[in-house]
Amino acid sequence: MTTLGRVALYLVFALTVYAAVAGVLAGRRGDRRLMRSSRNAFIAALGATLVAVVAVEYALVTHDFSLAVVAEHTSRQLPTGYTLSSLWASEAGSLLLWLAVLTGASALALRQNRNRNRELMPWVAAVLGGIAAFFSGLAAFVSSPFAHVAGAVPVDGAGLDPSLQNPYMVAHPPMLYLGYVTMSVPFAFAMAALITGRTDARWLVSVRRWTLVSWAALGTGMLLGAHWAYVEIGWGGYWAWDPVENAALMPWLAATAFLHSVIVQEKKGMLKVWNMVLVSAAFSLAVFGDFLTRSGVVQSVHSFVQSPVGPYLLAFVAAVLAFATALIIWRLPLLRADHRLESVISREATFLFNNLLLLALAFAVLWGVIFPILSEAVRGVRSTVSTPYYDFFLVIFGLPLLALAGIGPLIAWRRASPDSLIRTFRWPVVSALSGAALLWLLGLGSSTAGLTALSLCIFVTVTVGLEFARGTAARRALAGGSVPRALLDLVSRNRRRYGGYVVHLAIVILVVGVTASSAYSTADSAHLAVGQSMHIDGYTLKNAGVFQRPGPNYTFEYVRLAVSRGGTSHGVLEPGQRVYDTGQVGNEVDIRSSLPSGTDLYSILQGVDRDSSGGVSVKVLVNPAVGLVWLAGVVFLLGALITLWPDPREARQLARRYGELLARSGA
Amino acid sequence: MTAAAAVAAAAALVMLAVLIIAWPFVSPEREGPEQRLSDDDRRRLALAEARDAAYASLRDLEHDLRTGKVTEADYQAERDRLRAEAARVLRELDQLR
Repeated sequence: MTTLGRVALYLVFALTVYAAVAGVLAGRRGDRRLMRSSRNAFIAALGATLVAVVAVEYALVTHDFSLAVVAEHTSRQLPTGYTLSSLWASEAGSLLLWLAVLTGASALALRQNRNRNRELMPWVAAVLGGIAAFFSGLAAFVSSPFAHVAGAVPVDGAGLDPSLQNPYMVAHPPMLYLGYVTMSVPFAFAMAALITGRTDARWLVSVRRWTLVSWAALGTGMLLGAHWAYVEIGWGGYWAWDPVENAALMPWLAATAFLHSVIVQEKKGMLKVWNMVLVSAAFSLAVFGDFLTRSGVVQSVHSFVQSPVGPYLLAFVAAVLAFATALIIWRLPLLRADHRLESVISREATFLFNNLLLLALAFAVLWGVIFPILSEAVRGVRSTVSTPYYDFFLVIFGLPLLALAGIGPLIAWRRASPDSLIRTFRWPVVSALSGAALLWLLGLGSSTAGLTALSLCIFVTVTVGLEFARGTAARRALAGGSVPRALLDLVSRNRRRYGGYVVHLAIVILVVGVTASSAYSTADSAHLAVGQSMHIDGYTLKNAGVFQRPGPNYTFEYVRLAVSRGGTSHGVLEPGQRVYDTGQVGNEVDIRSSLPSGTDLYSILQGVDRDSSGGVSVKVLVNPAVGLVWLAGVVFLLGALITLWPDPREARQLARRYGELLARSGA
Repeated sequence: MTAAAAVAAAAALVMLAVLIIAWPFVSPEREGPEQRLSDDDRRRLALAEARDAAYASLRDLEHDLRTGKVTEADYQAERDRLRAEAARVLRELDQLR
C-alpha cells in the first residue's frame, strides 16, 4: 500500500501541473476539449489523493511503524478512532488532508460551472491547478506521509499527544482545513476575472456560496477549537489569542468583510478594487495561517508539529500577493466604480466602515502574531504580544463593529434623512440606554468596556428584532396569512438578508457570553486534605478522596470533589490526570454546567500529594454565561445555513441575466 | 499487499488517470471553439447587471418603506430616480438589440 500511496501522490502532482497548463492553454486558445481535460485532471487528482489517504490510513490501523507518521503519532494501544484521526496530527498527514479537500473543492467548483462562466473557467482551472500543484509538490517531495523512520523500525509508536485524544480534535482540524482550503475557489475566480477582464459581477455570484462555506467552516472550526481548549487544555478559558487561533481568525475577518462588500458591488457597482483586495487577502491569510500552524515559528498550544514546509509556504504567500497585486494594478481601469458614495449616512457607508474596521482588526491581530517573529529575526530576542494588546484592539475596533451590526440593517441605501433616522433608531437607542442604566444599577459598571458591549448587544438585538417584526408585518399586509407563515415567507424570500441578521444575533450571543465569562469570572486555588473544603461564589467543594480507574490506553488518577450550594448537593466533580501507557501525561478538567444560566463550575487538578495522604491542590473557576459562547456557534451555523440555502428565484433571475442575453457566448 | 500487486495497482491507477484526462480528445463528442465576448456582449452584460441592480434597489426601497426605514417623501424621490435609471438602462439595452 505504501508504494501505491507514494505513486498516487506523484500522480496528483503530475495531474495538477497538467490541469494548470491545460487551463492556461484552454484559456488562450478557447479550446473546450482542453478545458474538459483540465477539469477531468482534477477529478483524477481527487481520486489519486483519496488513494494516498487510504494508503496512510491503512498504515495507521495496521501499525506500520516503518512510516514516520505512524511511529511518531500512534501506538498499539491507541483507540481506533484516534488512530484514524491521527492522520492530521502530523505535518505530512495534514498536508494530505489539505490536498484532499483542495482537489475535492476544485473538482466540485469546476463541475458546478461546466456550463457557466465559460470564459472564466479555464483560468479558474489554471489558478486552482497552480495552487494544487504547489501543495501536492510539498506532499510528494518535501513532507511525504510515506517517509520512513530513520534507523531501526520501532516495536511500538511514540503515541498520540494526549491533548489530541479528544473527540473535538476529530472534527476541529478538518473543519478548519475546509475553511482555509475552500478560500482557494473565490481567489481563483477573482484572478480569472482579472486575467480575462470579466470584472463584472458574474464572478462574485459564482463565489458567494464558496466564500460562505469557507467562512462558516472557519467560524465553526474556531468555536470547536475554543471548546476543545476549554475542556482539554485546562487553564479555564477558551480563547487565549494564541497564534494558531489567530491564524484562523484573520482570514475569517477578511472573509466577513468580503461577504459584506460583495453586497455593495452587486447593488451599487462600487468597491470593485476593494473586493479583489479582500479576496486576495483572505486567501493569503488562509495560507499564512497554515504557515503559522505548521512552520513551528510560533509557540502555540495548538501547534503540534514542526516541519520543513514553512519557508515554502511563506514563499508561496509572497508569490500569491505579488501575482494578485500585479493583476489588480493591470486591471485598475476596468475596476472603476459605477457610482460614488453620496452620503456617509447610508447603508453602503456602514458597509464600508464595517470593512475598514474588520480589516483594521485583522491587521492588528496580524501584527501581534508576526511581531515576535520579526523581533527575533531583527534583534535576536523573542518578544511576546500578550492578551492586553489584543483586548485593546478588540475593544477599539470591535465595539464600533458591534454598533454597525445594529445600524447597518436599519439605515437606507444611498442616503438616510434625519427624519427617517430618528424614526428608525429611537426604540433601539432608548432600549440600549435603558439597558445600560439597568445593568449599571445591577452592579455591572465595574467594566466600562463590558457595560458598553452589553448595551450595544441590547441595541443590536432590538434592531434585529424590529427588522423581523416589521418585515413580518409588512409581509402579512401584502400577502395575508398567519404570523409564522409570513415570517417563513419573509426569510425564504430574503435568505441572504435574514440569514445575515441571524448571524448578527449569534455575534450578540457570543459577545454576551465572552463579556460575562471573562469580565465577571471568579477563580480560587487551594490545597485540600481529605475531608477539607473550599468555598467559591456560594459553592462548597469537599475533597472526598483520590481514586484511580483504568482507561483503554491510560490510567486515570482523580480527586472526587463533592459539590454543594446552600446545603444542597450538586453532585461531584472529578478532575484528574491521565497517565498513558506510553508514559505521556494529560490533564483532564471536570466541568459542571448549570442551565439555564449557562454558568460553569470548572475544576482543575493541579497536583496530588505523593505521601498517599489523599491531599490535593486544585483550582476552581466559576465562569458565568459561558454556555452562551457555544450557543452562539449553533445560532451562527443556523444563520449561515439560511444564507447558503439555494434560492430558486435568484437562480431564475441569474439565468435570465446571463443565460438568455449571452447564450451564444456562454457567459 | 505484495510488491508485484502494488506495482500493478499503481500502474492501473496511472493508466486510469491518463484515460480520464485524454477522454475529451478521443470521445466522439465534438465541440466548437469557445466564443469570446465581443465588446457589445460586454456592454449588454454590464447593462443587464445595471438593470437587475435597479430592479433590486426598487424592491429594497419598497421593503424599506413598508418597514419604516424611509419616509414617504424620501421614498418618492428615490423611486423616481431608480425608475429613471432603469428606463435609461432598458433604452440602451434596446438600442443594442
